[in-house]
Amino acid sequence: MEKQERIAKDAADLAFQARQEILKMTSTAKASHVGSALSVIDILAVLYSGIADVNPQNLNESNRDIVILSKGHAASAIYSVLALKGFFSLDWLAQYCGNGAPLGGHVTSKGVPGVELSTGSLGHGLPYGLGIAFSRKRSSVPGRVFVVMSDGECDEGTTWESALLAHHHELNNLTVIVDRNGIQSLKETEETLKLEPFAEKWRAFGWDVHKIDGHNYQELTNRLTQQSRPTVVIAETTKGKGVSFMENSVLWHYRPPNEDELAKALSEVVDQ
Amino acid sequence: MRDTFVDTLLAEAQKDPSVVLITGDLGFGVLEKFEKALPKQYINAGVAEQAMLGLAAGMASTGKRVFVYSIGNFPTVRALEQIRNDVCYMNNPVVIVSVGAGYSYGSQGYTHHALEDIAVMRALPGMDVLTPADPYETVALTKYLVSTKRPSYLRLGRSGEKQLNSSAPTLKAGELNALLKGNDGSILFTGAIGTLALQAQETLKSNGKNVGVYSVPFLSSLKPESIKEVAAIGPIVTIEEHSTRGGLGSALLELASISGINADIRIMGVSQHNLAEIGDQTFLRTSNGLTVEKIVEKFNF
Repeated sequence: MEKQERIAKDAADLAFQARQEILKMTSTAKASHVGSALSVIDILAVLYSGIADVNPQNLNESNRDIVILSKGHAASAIYSVLALKGFFSLDWLAQYCGNGAPLGGHVTSKGVPGVELSTGSLGHGLPYGLGIAFSRKRSSVPGRVFVVMSDGECDEGTTWESALLAHHHELNNLTVIVDRNGIQSLKETEETLKLEPFAEKWRAFGWDVHKIDGHNYQELTNRLTQQSRPTVVIAETTKGKGVSFMENSVLWHYRPPNEDELAKALSEVVDQ
Repeated sequence: MRDTFVDTLLAEAQKDPSVVLITGDLGFGVLEKFEKALPKQYINAGVAEQAMLGLAAGMASTGKRVFVYSIGNFPTVRALEQIRNDVCYMNNPVVIVSVGAGYSYGSQGYTHHALEDIAVMRALPGMDVLTPADPYETVALTKYLVSTKRPSYLRLGRSGEKQLNSSAPTLKAGELNALLKGNDGSILFTGAIGTLALQAQETLKSNGKNVGVYSVPFLSSLKPESIKEVAAIGPIVTIEEHSTRGGLGSALLELASISGINADIRIMGVSQHNLAEIGDQTFLRTSNGLTVEKIVEKFNF
């Protein structure tokens, strides 16, 4: 229990710093998807604070854990976490989306230590993670595979093709975390293409399903610590979490914060 | 070709446990021996081609040598973005194997005709596109694919293809495979349609024209020198059981243009498939102008 409390505390610290980096990156680069990044950041912070066994030192080990951010538009979130955890220099964040810079607007693994899969087109992370989990299971290689998805991404057919496959092959080393913020590209998910009853869908596909608060570090930590079946954690989140004027708004899927908005957003994050 | 492929892959997989064969629920009467012999190196992913290609890429990223098997368009066009992003962008060494080149599944209809696959696969970065002409070349290319580690596409016919090579050839990446040499021009073909090329060569010979016949098994790695050599002989007629847009003929024209090779290239292929037409492979080849007579005509101007 002591370990889980430490992970949750470290995650809170990491997310606190990462939120500030995300805001600065998207503002400086005039990049989109800040709301998506703020939504998923607590999940990533927990994974990289001791849930997933992956760090800059063990990247070449074949039995370490794997984290795939399938919602590749939340690039600023994974990049800030990886930089803060020492996978690459923090200086890279300042050049986000720049010409000739290492980090682009959608997640790339090219030359970026710690990124497992280049993403940006939705519905690719789960089949890929499934392949790694499957290969490891067949070869009796330990290590878990975590795939972090958006809820809008669950419109994709590959999500449900993969759900069938993971259950059929009993991939107990595969964990899906859905960033369930309820908003997709244009409108709310339920208004766009109904996902509910969402948990029941996964359950019907044979998965172990858990619904939790996706901004609660302790809940995330406890839930992700162990599993015995293919597991989906439906992390209920708020798009734009932590910045009042960005929360639950489609606008911040696209709009970068200007200087004034950045200052206001940063002060809100720091005050929390 | 498909039996030859499976037999060759099975022999290689028995030596190399990293070789894995994934099928998209196809291969009745063809894949059972592989599954029986090496159940741990075999997966039926079900009828889920897009997830299958993502799965294949993920497995390949862990060091497996993954071969994905299905018919024509299913492991290619259906899963195109998975191939583009998860295989090519990530540079994962997945080998996509399609059976049913061109009109091999003739009377099954257009859904089963592979007429655009070369164009699509050839356009992808780093993709090695391989098209064997006969069982001999299938063996050679399958072995080559087990040894190379890059995204690849192997385009197979179906079954009963004749040997066009007189003996097992040594295939070199990027080079043409000469079946016959001539001094009045050359026919370059890809795949089992080479039977027509050889017949046309005989007809031309009886008319006093001696043309060479070359198989082109390496479609994306063609070296300019190999084209330069045949271009110097005389006209080059290309024939393929594929769209004229983006296949062998296009590849040659592009290469000649980019490399500044002065070549008289006359391409033959499916220029406009009649989507309403039903028929077997021979019928559809003929109705699309893929005949011995038409090849001969191409040398008459």
